[in-house]
Amino acid sequence: MDFKTFVFYFLGAILVFAALRVITARNPVHAALYLVLAFFTAGGVWLLLHAEFLAIVLVMVYVGAVMVLFLFVVMMLDINVERLRQGFWSYLPVGALIGILLVVEMTIVLGGRYFGLEVMPEPPAMAEGYSNTRALGMVLYTEYVYPFELASLVLLVAMIVAVTLTLRKRKGTKYINPDDQVAVKREGRVELVKMPAEKE
Amino acid sequence: MNFVVPDFYPAAAEIFVAVMALVIMLAGAFARSVRWLAYTLTQLTLVGAALITIFVPSVDVSYTFSGMFVSDLFGNVLKLLIYLAVGVALLYGRGYLADRRMERPEYYLLAVLMTLGMMVMVSANHLLTLYIGLEMMSLALYGMTAFDRDSVRSTEAAMKYFVLGALASGLLLYGMSMIYGATGALDFVSIKDALYFQTANKTVLLFGLVFLMAGIAFKLGVVPFHMWVPDVYQGAPTAVTLLIASAPKLAAFAMTMRLLVFALFELAEQWQAMLMFLAVLSIILGNLAAIAQSNIKRMLAYSGISHMGFMLLGLVAGVVSGETHNAITAYSAAMFYAVAYVLMSLASFGMVLLLARAGFEAEEIDDFKGLNKRSPWFAAMMMIVMFSMAGIPFFIGFFAKLAVLQSVVAAGYVWLAVLAVVMSVIGAFYYLRVVKVMYFDAPADDAPIHAPAEMRVMMSVNGLSIAALGLMPQGLTYLCWIALLASLT
Amino acid sequence: MIISTYTMLSSGSKLALFIALTVLALLAGALLALNARRRLFGCAGARAVGFVGLVAGLPALMMGLSRVEMEMLYRVVPLAPLAGALIAGLFGKAVGRAGAHLVTSFGVLVALAASILIYVDVLAGNTFNDTVYTWMEAGGITFEIGFLIDSLTVMMMLVVTFVSLMVHVYTIGYMSEDPGYQRFFSYISLFTFSMLMLVMSNNFLQLFFGWEAVGLVSYLLIGFWYKRPTAIYANLKAFLVNRVGDFGFLLGIGLIVAYTGSLDYAEVFEEAGNLASLEMAGTGWPLITAICICLFIGAMGKSAQVPLHVWLPDSMEGPTPISALIHAATMVTAGIFMVARMSPLFELSDAALSFVLVIGATTALFMGFLGIVQNDIKRVVAYSTLSQLGYMTVALGVSAYSAAVFHLMTHAFFKALLFLGAGSVIIGMHHDQDMRNMGGLRKYMPITWITSLLGSLALIGFPLFSGFYSKDSIIEAVHAAQIPGAGYALFCVLLGVFVTAFYSFRMYFLVFHGEERFGKAHDAHHHDAHADDDHQDDHHHGLAPGQKPHESPWVVTVPLVLLAIPSVLIGYFTIEPMLFGEWFKSVIFVGDNHVGLSELAASFHSPLGMAVHGLQTAPFWLAMGGVALSWYFYMKRPDIPAAIQRRFSAVHTLLENKYYFDRFNEVFFAAGSRLLGRGLWKGGDQALIDGAVVNGSARLVGWISQASRLLQTGHLYQYAFAMIIGVFVLLTFWFNRG
Repeated sequence: MDFKTFVFYFLGAILVFAALRVITARNPVHAALYLVLAFFTAGGVWLLLHAEFLAIVLVMVYVGAVMVLFLFVVMMLDINVERLRQGFWSYLPVGALIGILLVVEMTIVLGGRYFGLEVMPEPPAMAEGYSNTRALGMVLYTEYVYPFELASLVLLVAMIVAVTLTLRKRKGTKYINPDDQVAVKREGRVELVKMPAEKE
Repeated sequence: MNFVVPDFYPAAAEIFVAVMALVIMLAGAFARSVRWLAYTLTQLTLVGAALITIFVPSVDVSYTFSGMFVSDLFGNVLKLLIYLAVGVALLYGRGYLADRRMERPEYYLLAVLMTLGMMVMVSANHLLTLYIGLEMMSLALYGMTAFDRDSVRSTEAAMKYFVLGALASGLLLYGMSMIYGATGALDFVSIKDALYFQTANKTVLLFGLVFLMAGIAFKLGVVPFHMWVPDVYQGAPTAVTLLIASAPKLAAFAMTMRLLVFALFELAEQWQAMLMFLAVLSIILGNLAAIAQSNIKRMLAYSGISHMGFMLLGLVAGVVSGETHNAITAYSAAMFYAVAYVLMSLASFGMVLLLARAGFEAEEIDDFKGLNKRSPWFAAMMMIVMFSMAGIPFFIGFFAKLAVLQSVVAAGYVWLAVLAVVMSVIGAFYYLRVVKVMYFDAPADDAPIHAPAEMRVMMSVNGLSIAALGLMPQGLTYLCWIALLASLT
Repeated sequence: MIISTYTMLSSGSKLALFIALTVLALLAGALLALNARRRLFGCAGARAVGFVGLVAGLPALMMGLSRVEMEMLYRVVPLAPLAGALIAGLFGKAVGRAGAHLVTSFGVLVALAASILIYVDVLAGNTFNDTVYTWMEAGGITFEIGFLIDSLTVMMMLVVTFVSLMVHVYTIGYMSEDPGYQRFFSYISLFTFSMLMLVMSNNFLQLFFGWEAVGLVSYLLIGFWYKRPTAIYANLKAFLVNRVGDFGFLLGIGLIVAYTGSLDYAEVFEEAGNLASLEMAGTGWPLITAICICLFIGAMGKSAQVPLHVWLPDSMEGPTPISALIHAATMVTAGIFMVARMSPLFELSDAALSFVLVIGATTALFMGFLGIVQNDIKRVVAYSTLSQLGYMTVALGVSAYSAAVFHLMTHAFFKALLFLGAGSVIIGMHHDQDMRNMGGLRKYMPITWITSLLGSLALIGFPLFSGFYSKDSIIEAVHAAQIPGAGYALFCVLLGVFVTAFYSFRMYFLVFHGEERFGKAHDAHHHDAHADDDHQDDHHHGLAPGQKPHESPWVVTVPLVLLAIPSVLIGYFTIEPMLFGEWFKSVIFVGDNHVGLSELAASFHSPLGMAVHGLQTAPFWLAMGGVALSWYFYMKRPDIPAAIQRRFSAVHTLLENKYYFDRFNEVFFAAGSRLLGRGLWKGGDQALIDGAVVNGSARLVGWISQASRLLQTGHLYQYAFAMIIGVFVLLTFWFNRG
């Protein structure tokens, strides 16, 4: 086992562990943090596969942006974990049984027999100066331009949905308009009224 | 790296719709006060897309965008039907949304983007484009399901739809990755070749197929991947239910055909067995569960499950012990069924919309009581739809069922046909119950039906077309048949 | 520019344009002429323009139609009335009363014009037999809509469209005060469509469709005044009795399909020879006889032959135009038409022909007797229709198919005339139908009187009138026939002539001559033992004392006159080609072993000669005897009938009760089947089927559906779990398959 293989298994083990903890951790903040860990290790695995660009994007986007947002949400909303976990134990036996059986079946298919080195030859080594990022950029804007553009539209859909569902003008809330605030003049605020003096 | 600018002509309709979506977005942002603008632009977009689809692409099969996009008769026919279904659904839903202060430009924008997603799905020749199209359609649908954002039921339905949809997408993607792993190809033609020359590993392929099947079954809404259907149909605003229950079924049919027939035809014997399993469960459960419903949207949801099961029967009968000569007939029967279902679905949910008014949802079967006294014409339309759904002769539903059953019998699965007939006889009960309620019960409220003229006309055309196509099904049958023939061979 | 555009059009579109314009002109003309909107087009000039439009439009329409492809024209014939029916039926409120009668009459007018052109085309020797639309194929049998256009069809088309048009026009006057005006027009146009589909069919499926459709419309129309219990009773009766006939008919068609595998006339007729040599599986009956008798049972129901005749007299509950159109001229003759069409089959079975002959002869005579004792003017005509249908059936039985069809045609004209005349009398009498309250009407209703007299003369077969030629030919054919039962039939038809003359002129004298009995002691007949117990007319007004009847409006009398012309003349001009010429040669098949009309043909020289010869034969003198007797009884000595009635009260009671057919049916069939039904219901249905099968399975289904409802818990993770299980099952399933 050379060093690379060792690193792979090491990262793999952490990844599986972190992923399991995401769904078993009692505290949602912990769960989110385990997810961050999972992303990090996954990024490491990708690096091993020479997918440097994707690894960095994974860390930047998911860890840097998505998860931070996620943590915000989790922390700001008071989620009752106990209620969510109701019935966890009563479903566990059946769930675990099915889960284990599925894993067994998947292992039979995917366990090296069909994807081992004997079946899948090692890919040829990359030439000197090969840039994964550059290669990705090349196909993304040429061969894959159609799904690329479509993906941008998918993001647009997501944006529109998010905006439609959340943006609203609440009735009864009062806003202060800074423009008006700044533009205030004395005449707008004070009115001098002349009136004759009155006797009690 | 030699790169050739792709030929844009075959995808002209998609490009047009995408551009129009942006136009509608801008119109929605800057001309919000013009209430009719988004709707009108949307309908114009659909009409324009239809014209482009009819006139621009050639009749022959042509590929573009590095083989990711295919333009063929099958896809173009389905696209036209999708425009029609979306257009009709938007027309039906307009008054309903306006009554509930939900008629915002975003709704139409999402509908256009959903249409685009479906078009991409229908024309996909690549696992990636298929998936992206699917997501585009689904995301828009999730958003529309939650459109009544102050309603708990609506948001809950959207949440369920979204989570389960994400799960299904995950399964589908996993299946796709397995297919890629086995064949080393993402586009359908290469996958087909890999299978044909038997260079692919069959075990892995089948493993992937199971997960693909889960994704397909979720979109079609067949047992046991149907759980979202009743809750979402009931929870979503009826106008959105109508959208979910109509055009996306055509897109899901196209996706099924593209994945199973266009790409994985060599595995037909395997996926047929799986589909048969799904179909039998759906027909049984859909019909039985529909009987117990008192909410008409829920009842129609279960009826939709059983209809999709019926539709799958056509796909089950394609290849019999290696013989493929029956295939085109069987698949065109399934396609006919899908089209028939969409027509009936539009009309049935359209009736629910027609009876609804501001502050009142006609969601219960009891709300149809005595409809004949309130409006004999629309009661007759609803009767036509119900009869057709029940498969009573001389309506389109009958011919759809007949064609599917014929191909099932031709494939030698007599037991399957018998089962399907028995279950549809049981199913006739709940359709006829609606008819009975309309004609023999005293009306619960006698508020006159007020609906915009264009909706009344469209509703009548829809109902009559169900009857007329039952009398003259040949045109549509031939269209389905020729579309498949021209695209598959 | 318009002209250059016009020249660029294809000839087809020019034609369409032309027809559209003509139709527009005609409609506008009709609107103006009939002055449907008095306030809008009040001036006489507009009306004049309208009439001109109408007069000029018609020939233009004919010209336009004449340039249409013949095959298109065939479709126009049934579709034009259908379009009218749909418009009047679905948009009755929108188009209004005038709109409804205009559009339906126009539809029928177009059908008539097209039929005339087709007739000209057929006369030139062109026939047509092809499918125009294939509906579906199942199990090797094609279900299609096709037209068989030949001399027989085109004759029926002309009769149907002409009588129908007359009835449409007549109805405008007759039903003018009825609230169901539009509905009525819609029905009669729908009927015309159905009847045309029936006669134009080239296959059994379409024949059956038309058969059932005319039955349905007839049912609807008998019960048109659905608030009258008697009308509902009558239409139910018609429906049930016709079901018996239809059952036989369907059985016959089923046998044909089972043994030939085809529904197409031509194909079946080609197979006919083979059928004749076969036997019914398991019984040893000759197949062809079974088929023919089954088919004829259908004809018996529709054409009201004994014992399935009971519905026709009661059908008089419907409005009079219906009685004329459906229950005299067209629908009831569908059975006759069908048998004539099936002549290649019937010719192969002597047994079936004898059956037909005996049934027909019995109907012809015994239904005639019943006409004598009726007092309701419409019922007299109804029984006379039954009797005349019997004559046609007799002609079928002796293989004189063309004589049957000939009589069908003449009868259609004069019987429609008599019915419409009776209707006109009823209008004049303010809906009093009892002849004992009439008399002397000729002074008040001259047109009705003359036309009714002409109709009656045609009916009794007075020489030179159309009825003479057709009826005499039948009698001669029976005389010449040699098949079993011919002797009985000859006796029946000869005596029938006398009876016909007697009751026809009894009606004629009672209504138009003698003392004026109307406007007196109006309710006397309510207490009379004679009062027809199942005829309680709720808009039964009658004339008030002192009130005089008056002639009907022109929309009523014009059809009478137009129908009187063919009633008198058509026999003279058509007997030669129809009976002895080439007209039906390729259509109607007469076997070598049957005489048919060949003997008559040998002695026939000219229509005039036949009339002169007719003066010396028994039927003429029998008819004259009948007329004379009725004159003596009802004009000279009105006390004699009463005396006879007293003396032979048993006979009279028998006739009054219509030979107890209704009683028998009620006691035996209706009560018996109720008894049987109750037994089956209690024993079989409630206990076994309902208890065990239906409710049991319904309970099971209900239970399962409730259980499946429980599955739908609403919990998201359970839904997701269901999906995972689904994947698991699929995966495992596939693993086990290998």
